[in-house]
Amino acid sequence: MNSRSVSPFRLKFGFLVIAIVLSFYGARLVQLQAIDPGSYAEMAHQEGLEEIELPASRGAIVDREGVELASSMDGLMVIADPALTVARAPELGRFLADKLGIDYFATLDKLRKTTGEGSHYQILARRIPATKVRKVLAEAADEGFQGLTTERDPIRSYPLDDVAANIIGFIGQDDDKGPLAGLERTFNKQLAGTDGIARYQAVKGRQIPLSDATVTPPRDGKTLQLTIDRDAQWFTQRTLAQVVRNWKATSGVAIVMDSHTGDLLAYADYPTFDANDPQATSKDYYGSKGAQEPYEPGSVEKALTLSAVIDSGHAEPETRLTVPETITRDGWPIGDHGRKGTAKLTLAGVLAHSSNIGTTMAAETMKADQLRDYLTAFGLGQRTNVGLRGESPGIVPATPWQAIQQATISFGQGISSTPLQMAAAVNAIANGGVRVSPSLIEGSATTEDGVEVGTAHATATRVISEETAQKMSRMMETVLDPVEGTAPQAHIPGYRVAGKTGTAQVPNPNGGGYLDGVNNNSFVGFAPAENPRFTVYVAVMGVHGGAGGLTAAPAFKRIMSYMLRHYGVPPTDAKATPYATTWGGPGTGNLAP
Amino acid sequence: MSTPQLSRVRVTRIAEEAVERARLRVVPATRVRAPKVPFVMLVSAILLAGVVGLLLFNTTMQQNSFAAADLQTHADELRSQEQALQAEIDELNDPQRIGEAANRLGMVMPVCPRFLYTATNKVTEACDEPPAKLPIDPPAAARPDSLVPHRTVVKVDAPTKGADTPVKGAAKAGRVGSHGASSTN
Repeated sequence: MNSRSVSPFRLKFGFLVIAIVLSFYGARLVQLQAIDPGSYAEMAHQEGLEEIELPASRGAIVDREGVELASSMDGLMVIADPALTVARAPELGRFLADKLGIDYFATLDKLRKTTGEGSHYQILARRIPATKVRKVLAEAADEGFQGLTTERDPIRSYPLDDVAANIIGFIGQDDDKGPLAGLERTFNKQLAGTDGIARYQAVKGRQIPLSDATVTPPRDGKTLQLTIDRDAQWFTQRTLAQVVRNWKATSGVAIVMDSHTGDLLAYADYPTFDANDPQATSKDYYGSKGAQEPYEPGSVEKALTLSAVIDSGHAEPETRLTVPETITRDGWPIGDHGRKGTAKLTLAGVLAHSSNIGTTMAAETMKADQLRDYLTAFGLGQRTNVGLRGESPGIVPATPWQAIQQATISFGQGISSTPLQMAAAVNAIANGGVRVSPSLIEGSATTEDGVEVGTAHATATRVISEETAQKMSRMMETVLDPVEGTAPQAHIPGYRVAGKTGTAQVPNPNGGGYLDGVNNNSFVGFAPAENPRFTVYVAVMGVHGGAGGLTAAPAFKRIMSYMLRHYGVPPTDAKATPYATTWGGPGTGNLAP
Repeated sequence: MSTPQLSRVRVTRIAEEAVERARLRVVPATRVRAPKVPFVMLVSAILLAGVVGLLLFNTTMQQNSFAAADLQTHADELRSQEQALQAEIDELNDPQRIGEAANRLGMVMPVCPRFLYTATNKVTEACDEPPAKLPIDPPAAARPDSLVPHRTVVKVDAPTKGADTPVKGAAKAGRVGSHGASSTN
């Protein structure tokens, strides 16, 4: 019998090997369980963890009726992997060019880019509506094309293109930079909302049932409602564009305001831009010039000056003035446009004929401080805070004023205001002497600078007495008188309309003085004069020749007529009861010095 | 008369008998074996039912998960579709489009509003200006030269006689393209 014996050495060696191996296992066990077990548990948890951003939907910008002026839409970008698309590049290029409206040659280059950077990732088209992309990609799959994928690429669209673009602004192509202009930028915090996030265990993109899931829901952006009326805005913009083009002017502004509430129903700038394609236009036109660029308002200012003169008790509408051909203040001559010789005008006549000299004489009955107080109470020299970006406060020079300064300020030169300020100021006359601050935002909203704006924060301040406002309103009706006035073109049959023209010289940008033969023309008015519903301001800048009554007044008439018709304001068929504009007889008048 | 010795003997005998009677004896084993099969079957059945139930439950959960994901995708698609339709409605409601259509039909807009009083059949005063076409020319875009997009133009030779069947797609390839999906030149 041969019994098999085991060598003690081999036995010991075997045990040693087993012990070594087991010690490794032991060490690993200690490492896993004793040293930082949390991080290993976390690593295990992360395995297969999906993290998905839940995008918040950007709030819409709507008009006063809820019509969307800026809306958000699901969009996708189409991406190609050239390694997979190169084989059938020409065929696929034609297919995509036809279906998505993209450039064939640029697409072909991208589909063939198999070397260098982006050889597996070429963006073919961006911001295409998701429905369209899904349909096109399904057709592409049917055709057997490979290598096309999509990624989320939300679309911000502006259904009315250029309508209200100067107010709304736009969002640029670069997502990192965010909104680039207008209310989109000013109220971005409110509109953007907050993205949410979902974390869950998933296999191949699908959630494992009963696995841990953490979902932070997105908070959608809030809608921003404007006081703008879409149809009125469209008509105002088109009418303004027509007048600017017809007169070969450099730019124009038109503002329509609800006389009682101060709501801006239309706010138009021209030239403007297409919010869906802002790059097609110079960025000089992206802003809201009617609020950002102050200008010398010219004769429109006379309505404010003479209101102050009447309200302070220094004159009445039929106060008699003897207006010479020229006067001189501080060595500077002042004259009236197109008038020779001495004229005997009432204060109403001074306004109807837009006499610089008559206005100067009336203003000189007041102290500079007093006149300045009235002008600032009308809102000049301070921002309206409607919510438009970069609003200018304009300039009302500090007192003391020189004689020539008081004279020019009284008829709207040597002072600057924005069209928006001037519309709100004249609206105070329409609103019975109470200035309501203009509003562009319905309700309340906070700008990026933390200023709360909107109709909820509108203020009403009495500037002149109701009696003075009524007198001034009657005086402004004489401006539209076919014989006496400077703007008979603004008359609307059946309605009593009050208004004032403005023809201001344009300061020379290259030095002192004014440009020859170039004017900023404007017209502001309200109707029906006995119970005003709308105040409309039209300014046409950089007109060669022309006058407010010729250029801006017809545009005012069209816009005001549209508003009266659109809002169904019936004609009153009342006739204006104008003041006497001239006087006869001996003497030099009764204007108190 | 009994003697004390006799009494002790009797007592001893009685005690022995009592002890004999009181002694416990092992009962003969009557071993009853409970049947194993039903128990095993029961346990197996419970286990099997549990496993199958769990499997079915898990499968149902998975199916529901897939269904939920599919429904979510469908909901997203429907939302996109709704947005596209809304965009279409907005486009149709665009005052510019309506104005252009009105102009094509020869419609004009009165400069001044006029009202008809139905009670008296009187019409308000007419305007001194004739009605005019809507000023709907879209504003010309002031595009800087540097932003005018590059256009690729390919000149295609006129088809020669005999080449009646052009190559498929040649006409499309030869068109003028524009850059960017949203470009509307």
